[in-house]
Amino acid sequence: MKTTRCKTFIAIVLFTFASTTVRAKDDDFKSVVKMIEDFYGVKHQGIPFLAKTGMKVATTAARIKGGQARRFAEAGSIKLAVFDDQDFDGDFTKFRTSLNGALNATWIPLIQTLSATTQDQNYVFLREAGDKFNVLVITITQRDATVVQVNLSRKNLALLLKDPEGTGKSITEEATIIDQE
Amino acid sequence: MKILLISLLLIFAPAIVTKAQDSRIQMSSLDHLVAKASQTIDVNIDERLIRISAKFLSNDDPDEKRVKELVNGIKGIYVKSFEFANDGEYSPADVESVRAQLRGPGWTRLVGVTSKKDGNLEVYLLLEGEKVGGMAVLHTDDRELTVVNIVGPVDLDKLAALDGHLGIPDLGIEKPKAKKDEQ
Repeated sequence: MKTTRCKTFIAIVLFTFASTTVRAKDDDFKSVVKMIEDFYGVKHQGIPFLAKTGMKVATTAARIKGGQARRFAEAGSIKLAVFDDQDFDGDFTKFRTSLNGALNATWIPLIQTLSATTQDQNYVFLREAGDKFNVLVITITQRDATVVQVNLSRKNLALLLKDPEGTGKSITEEATIIDQE
Repeated sequence: MKILLISLLLIFAPAIVTKAQDSRIQMSSLDHLVAKASQTIDVNIDERLIRISAKFLSNDDPDEKRVKELVNGIKGIYVKSFEFANDGEYSPADVESVRAQLRGPGWTRLVGVTSKKDGNLEVYLLLEGEKVGGMAVLHTDDRELTVVNIVGPVDLDKLAALDGHLGIPDLGIEKPKAKKDEQ
């Protein structure tokens, strides 16, 4: 009887722990967006807002979300937050430390490029998610920022590993670039 | 019996891990340069990522096969590269914090490896008996400091193949030229 109770207790603890971990993983995109908002005192604009203001950025993002014109992101997998024309004043080294502290347990910090001169920051994080790979690309400049999370195929994982910086930029461009059509 | 086995694992596991990580260089002493550098590149391709690529990348696709071959057998690739707008923005002590580790047991500097780029290139191998356990590359210039650390078995051919790929900056590595009587 004691053993059964003990096993039940362990099962509950493990289940609770697993659920918490999964929830924390799922919320990482939102956490990063919130972290940028809190650290820099800025607000992100969602795709509906951007569409209302007539920004072309929303067109491409919405298309990718619907499964069209995608190259890197799997259909429906894209999560995008855009911070447009706002001040990103703050110690970027402190932001980097906070970001790494928050993500490094569950994400692999594949590549980070930073510039003290221009204050530009680019981060590419990767994690395995079942038979897929999540990539989180964070780009911050003096006036703009984007946070993009997508699912990658194996083929695109190879491209990402081969050229992490270039592919990270392409993923962000794919999600936000002005549609030329 | 189970408790004894678990206890033994707990005692010896850290020792095994420490042994496997011997060729990993500590580069955190360079982190303060991020605040000064006009360009910082920080690459972490750790064992988890290499395991993923070995597990998922196919041999049928040329791109996937190429990446798989590059990382095959390697346990980690770590890069810190700093470019500065002016001379003298990093100190000899910064370089020494890395070089001191490469004077440790097992590390040997390879002579004759040069770079097409300006500056000073140093390549070190960690030898474990006759096997190579890792490699470190240090490239310094008046306005640049780059450290590349490859954990696991690696040779100059693989280093040259990795140069400019997987986030490693193009260091223009040239292998020593073979002497005529050795050909």
